[in-house]
Amino acid sequence: MTYARRALTVAWKDLVVERRSKETLNALLFFSLALLFVFQFALGPDRERLAAVLPGLLWLGFILSGVLGLGRAFLVERENDCWEALLLTPGDKSAIYLGKLAGSLVLMAVVETLVLALFVLFFNVDLGPALPGLALVIGLGTVAIAAVGTLFAAMTAQVRARELLFPVLLLPVLVPVLLGTVKATEALLLGEPLASVAHWLKLLVAADVVYLAIGLLTFDFILEG
Amino acid sequence: MPDNWTFVAAAYGLAALVFGGYWLRLGRIDRELAAVRTER
Amino acid sequence: MTTLLGWLAGLGLVAGLVMGFGVAPREVTQGNVQRIMYLHVPAVWVAYLTFTVGFAASIAYLAGRRPGADRLAHAACEVGTVFLGVNIATGAIWGKPTWGTWWTWDARLTSVAVVFVMFLAYLLLRGAIEDRERGARYGAVLSIVAALNIPLVHFSVYWWRTLHQPPSLLKPGSSTMPRVILTALLVNFAAQALLGAYFVARRARLLAAEEEAIA
Repeated sequence: MTYARRALTVAWKDLVVERRSKETLNALLFFSLALLFVFQFALGPDRERLAAVLPGLLWLGFILSGVLGLGRAFLVERENDCWEALLLTPGDKSAIYLGKLAGSLVLMAVVETLVLALFVLFFNVDLGPALPGLALVIGLGTVAIAAVGTLFAAMTAQVRARELLFPVLLLPVLVPVLLGTVKATEALLLGEPLASVAHWLKLLVAADVVYLAIGLLTFDFILEG
Repeated sequence: MPDNWTFVAAAYGLAALVFGGYWLRLGRIDRELAAVRTER
Repeated sequence: MTTLLGWLAGLGLVAGLVMGFGVAPREVTQGNVQRIMYLHVPAVWVAYLTFTVGFAASIAYLAGRRPGADRLAHAACEVGTVFLGVNIATGAIWGKPTWGTWWTWDARLTSVAVVFVMFLAYLLLRGAIEDRERGARYGAVLSIVAALNIPLVHFSVYWWRTLHQPPSLLKPGSSTMPRVILTALLVNFAAQALLGAYFVARRARLLAAEEEAIA
């Protein structure tokens, strides 16, 4: 099996499992709805304050959903005693990393689109011309979150306190990415042109490259045992 | 500008506590391991 | 060797205190509270130095699988976290009389705090994995991620604080630093570097002894 084929097989397997059970997707969606309601209760009447914190709230929703979803990235393998199967996979195990990453990206994209749509609806946000730029920022940020998240999910899969350790590992590392995405989202929602957030975009691209490179290069070491 | 010697003392004191505490922790691990070795 | 380092560190610390309190003058703008800098600034330099050592040792471990490399990486990251903790705490104590607040989200403090939490997470991970070999592998990968993340943290926070925002009022250690203050800083840096090296050497040796004891 070629490298790409192996990666796609892993991704396809994850997505099919998810499509059948919809476990993770459901959890993420209802979690996002809960966030939406709570934010509305806390800030609803004050339009201005809401507008000011909206970028932060949006990414809080994204990152918390990401932590929830990515933390389960290797759940299927773990619960069904398939972990050893992963370890015994011949060839470059980074193909598994890419496959898992791709599956997580699709899942996160679905959740993020829905969350964004709900935000626009419930908080009366006018996306309009900002949408393409916003899509780019969300895309770059999500790749970074998934790239580190997949690696750390594999790392914590076999550790005792994995539910506790995974966010503890992930969130500090993602601070620069969250900073960049929130500030860029803020600027774009205020109507500023994409060029004005060029430095944030460069940061996000750099983060994506670094995290993907580390993930691809070190995944083999994680899946040794 | 007032000199705030209490803050200076607090800072150096805290550093002494942290570094000293770490040094004592190393000593404690050393003793525990020595005890394990002599038991054998 | 380790004991020698320890004694040298002790001497260095005395020299540092002499420089910081005896030789260095009372600072013009801030008064004597500025002397905290001789503790605060070298600590972060030593921390980042040890994190770099940890980074290199981690790569060496993944390449060659020598347990000594892992012990060095583990010890370095642990000691670095201690020094960073001292940096943050002394920074807060310095900040209270100077800025009127224990904490402020300025670029330097924020990025150091993020790096501190990252390496705390490293220590938590090492503590949570019982298997020595797996702990070494996973620890190496994590310390590589953390080390390479440091520049990203710094740039993101720096841009956040400086773009569209006036620079903060008091910058510790201005660019035109009097010679004697710079010398005092360097002496204290050497002292703390020796202390850090002593801690790392001793910690690495203890890690080796721990492995023997378990075996």
